[in-house]
Amino acid sequence: MPSHILELSSVTKSFGGLKAVYDISFKMNSDDIIGLIGPNGAGKSTLIKLISGILEPDSGEIKFKNQKINGLKTWDIVNLGISFTFQNMRPFRRLPIIANVMTSCMSPRAMKRGEWVKRIEAKAMDFLEFAGISDMALEKASTLSQGDLKRLEVARAIATEPELILLDEPFGGLSPAETELMAKSIKRLHKGGRFGRLHSEGPAMIIVEHKLQQLMKMADRIIVLNYGETVTECAPKELVNNKEVIECYLGKGAL
Amino acid sequence: MIAYYTKTLYSIIKNDVLVLPSRMLVFFFIVAIICLPVVSNDPYLLRIIILACIYAIFTASWDLLSGFTGQMSFGHAFFFGVSAYAAALLNRHLHFPPWASIPIGALASVVAGLIIGIPCLRLRGTYLALTTLSFPIILLGIVHAFPDITGGELGISGLDRICRSRIGTYYIVAVSMLLSIATMWKLTSSKFGILLHAIREDEIALRASGINTTRYKIMAFCLSAFFAGIAGGLYAHFMRITGPSTLEVALSFQVVIWGVFGGIATIWGSAGAVFILFPIMEFFRFWPEFRMLIFSFIIIFILLYMPKGLLPWLRDQVEKECPRCKKKNISFRKTCRICTATLG
Repeated sequence: MPSHILELSSVTKSFGGLKAVYDISFKMNSDDIIGLIGPNGAGKSTLIKLISGILEPDSGEIKFKNQKINGLKTWDIVNLGISFTFQNMRPFRRLPIIANVMTSCMSPRAMKRGEWVKRIEAKAMDFLEFAGISDMALEKASTLSQGDLKRLEVARAIATEPELILLDEPFGGLSPAETELMAKSIKRLHKGGRFGRLHSEGPAMIIVEHKLQQLMKMADRIIVLNYGETVTECAPKELVNNKEVIECYLGKGAL
Repeated sequence: MIAYYTKTLYSIIKNDVLVLPSRMLVFFFIVAIICLPVVSNDPYLLRIIILACIYAIFTASWDLLSGFTGQMSFGHAFFFGVSAYAAALLNRHLHFPPWASIPIGALASVVAGLIIGIPCLRLRGTYLALTTLSFPIILLGIVHAFPDITGGELGISGLDRICRSRIGTYYIVAVSMLLSIATMWKLTSSKFGILLHAIREDEIALRASGINTTRYKIMAFCLSAFFAGIAGGLYAHFMRITGPSTLEVALSFQVVIWGVFGGIATIWGSAGAVFILFPIMEFFRFWPEFRMLIFSFIIIFILLYMPKGLLPWLRDQVEKECPRCKKKNISFRKTCRICTATLG
């Protein structure tokens, strides 16, 4: 029976009078993929920022592997085993692509794990190869297309060898073909066995996404947020007929 | 044994140095610096080159902090002044010899780097620049407040020479410059340098990579302060006086101008700029009223037409990058010297 890797209890965050996230609680197992959906402004990205330590919750508790992580610095959280990607990609534009990934390979967590005899450059190349952009390793990150930048974000996130990845709109701005490729990469990553320790399990995932069709194929559970609150938490199949979910997307009386 | 090392040196020079104009320039510059006292014993010329060497260390240290790490410092004279005063006080009152007072002065500068670095961690851009600008002014106030210790307006004079002979002084300063710049260059082109670059590009993204950016920013402040401190200590013992001029705002801006002129985030560019601009300024001393005007025109011209700086611009004119392996090649080559790819 897999243990709970992440546990949120009554997490709340306000910006002035606006409650961006209100009383959110959920648990996830170490082999879960959770989809986080909701209309714009529902609080999805804020929740990701709260878990990753970019923002600190006003109240409530976030536990990772039974350890409270509220108030920890972002780099400490990453070194505990949570990594994340940004909704608006933030590459180091003037650095070569390989150097972008090398920064993650130089984190204390990554340095302790994996095939320690390998040079950092070789490790970074492995992650780029996984993401499918190893042929452009020496190019500057500023030369990459939108789709390749998303891949770079994923490569940088997995380079810390995390146990939980928070992906904020991984398919955003991608063409259908690119979306398909990215979805395949994410699924392959979740299966594990590719990185670091020889028989590693794939990381648990929280995916924030608007492309529901792709998300429903991948996620084990979907959490729907609206106005910062949980509307429902259900299996993807149940979501399609959920009245509350349809109402929060299309408005009351739409049915 | 000797034949083996001579052969190895010859092959390094032939295969690694003489293949690129920039490397040749650096090689001949080092040879010229080493051979200068043999060719000319003119005290004025040696004095100019010694001061240029000291300012080159100082400018490169600014480039390490502001160019590479993006922590814009408009008060870099603080580190220079702290070290100069520390070395002067140690030498004058406690009779420390220069070989001890200069490194201890540099360490005092590292402490100053910590003092500045910690409150500046949360600041960036204009706010950081203005905060750093205030520190040498504060220290200047302290210098004037305790004239019994610091000498006030007159400063501390009568310090020991770095070396009794002029040539000895020249070599100590020149070797210090070459070693300091080589160390800074090596640091910035290492993995540590990648992290400094990344801090300048996007600090939050680097935190997301699990890197403690606070630690690296403080390290950058301390390293930069150390090398600026070496320059400050050498300056104090070479001039044999330390005064409020070592903390002047003009000196802080001078170093920014040298850095931008030579090309920021290069180390070699900013250091090279001092060897161009400092002698030019000395040459124009015959027309003191036009000196600053001519200097300003040169800077404006460079900023307008060579925004990356003079030396990187010159390098781009004579060398081109291989599209495949990204190694530099002399511009007239048709194929890459490393991977034999066709050069565009």
